[in-house]
Amino acid sequence: MDVKAVILIGGSRIEGAEQLGGIPIGLLDVFGRPILERVLDRLEKFGISGAAVVTETPASSVPLARGSIRPGMHWAEARGSQFWRTAENAFNEFAQGGTEIVLVVRLGAYAELDYEELIQFHLDAGCHVTRVADATGMPLDTFVISASRRNDAAYLFRHELQEMRVPSDDYRFAGYINHLRDPKDFRVLALDGFAGIANIPPCGDETKPGVWLGENARVHRTARLLAPCFVGANAKVRASALLTRGSVAEHHTEIDCGTVVENSSILQTTKIGAGLDVTHSVVGFQRIWNLRRTVEVEISDRRLVATIHSAPVRMLNHAAEIAWIFSKVVAQTVLGRKTAPTPAIQDALCRPAAALKKAEHGKEEAMPAADLLSVRRYGNE
Amino acid sequence: METSRPVVVKRVPERMNLRQARQFQQEVRPFFRIDRPQIVFDLSAVRLLDAAGIDMLLECMTEASRRDGDLKLASVSAQAAVVLELTRTDRLFEIYETATDAVKSFSSFLPNAVRQFYPGVGTAPAFAWHQRDGHGHRVPKEKETEEAA
Repeated sequence: MDVKAVILIGGSRIEGAEQLGGIPIGLLDVFGRPILERVLDRLEKFGISGAAVVTETPASSVPLARGSIRPGMHWAEARGSQFWRTAENAFNEFAQGGTEIVLVVRLGAYAELDYEELIQFHLDAGCHVTRVADATGMPLDTFVISASRRNDAAYLFRHELQEMRVPSDDYRFAGYINHLRDPKDFRVLALDGFAGIANIPPCGDETKPGVWLGENARVHRTARLLAPCFVGANAKVRASALLTRGSVAEHHTEIDCGTVVENSSILQTTKIGAGLDVTHSVVGFQRIWNLRRTVEVEISDRRLVATIHSAPVRMLNHAAEIAWIFSKVVAQTVLGRKTAPTPAIQDALCRPAAALKKAEHGKEEAMPAADLLSVRRYGNE
Repeated sequence: METSRPVVVKRVPERMNLRQARQFQQEVRPFFRIDRPQIVFDLSAVRLLDAAGIDMLLECMTEASRRDGDLKLASVSAQAAVVLELTRTDRLFEIYETATDAVKSFSSFLPNAVRQFYPGVGTAPAFAWHQRDGHGHRVPKEKETEEAA
């Protein structure tokens, strides 16, 4: 039986949901691989190899899903009202190509479905469209559609997967589901992965129990990785940094000296500055999603959180930095070095302490004089 | 113990980047020039706080301590709290839920840390909790007064 899949990334009913920093959660890495790639792998495992991906994401963010793009895969970008139209076209293309059953999966939720069982359920029920729901009856935006039923498919797409032309029985699924609506769900997915609840094995070597290191990950000898934690490919953990309590540093991240990362996920290509405390958060794209306070904070200061650019851009930046330092050194050599004046120690010793100085003239004169009796706050003197 | 010195409450602007932090520091500088300044920064409006803003807060605190005064923070917005936590500066400041609480704290003798352990103590002196009964056991102030009554 020829079964193909249409995977939709976007089309959320709630503005800004299922996204982190404007990037759909489905395209973000969890343990070294995008969620989309994991879904495609799962489909392949059940013999569903042909897939079309329809996304609302701009082309610039497509490299995030680098491993998901496979030969023969149809990748379409569409926005707004065109999104559902493009999804319908992808369905029609499969139907015209002789496909018998089309699976429509919106990411959306991450569900570890048994696709074989699902298709069998669809065939046994003899429905045109079968909707998947979780154990509580909540729909998952995953459908099985008989390819010959184009009208049903068109109706479904035109109603943004909210309504079916002919009502049918839901396929109730009781396995692992994560709705991936917000950063909290994203973080829960990582923790479930560590706990083995979700079947998302980390991509890397388990160097010691519960500690995974990706390819070319560099960890300074004074840095500490406490299990469970994951450091992705080409990531750097610098001196005295600490990763603990299920923290995840995805590929090309950089944790600077002395920074503590506790119960947090650092998204790909993110640099965390030195001496910081990152706790109960998801960090990336110059933002912090604090899960305890349920707040999103934009960090414009690159000393705290920065995005690491691709290799050519980094090279250009380094070259510019070297040129700037060189020109500065040359200018100082030619014009003469200006050194900061060092304060005379004798003068500094003779000068009264600032606290002993009288209030300056002007506005401060209006302030009342010091109390007759003063009490130290932390003592009985 | 009440002090008659004024407590200055200053609202920190919404964005605290390098330029605005400098501007704000210029504005508040006169308040730190007095002897033993008592300043409260209200951070309820802060939406963007970067390293320059944190530097400014630390400089203000240093300036206040140098003159034997204190700088306290109040009504810290969630955004500011995240950055304070991130940069580990939250532990350097006394932080209060409201500016009123922060102002009151200047006139109370009890250190903030003790008040956290014994909520509702108010302005009672710390030694009240170390009084002992005839058997040498610690007796809270309320219990002792009840017995006396």
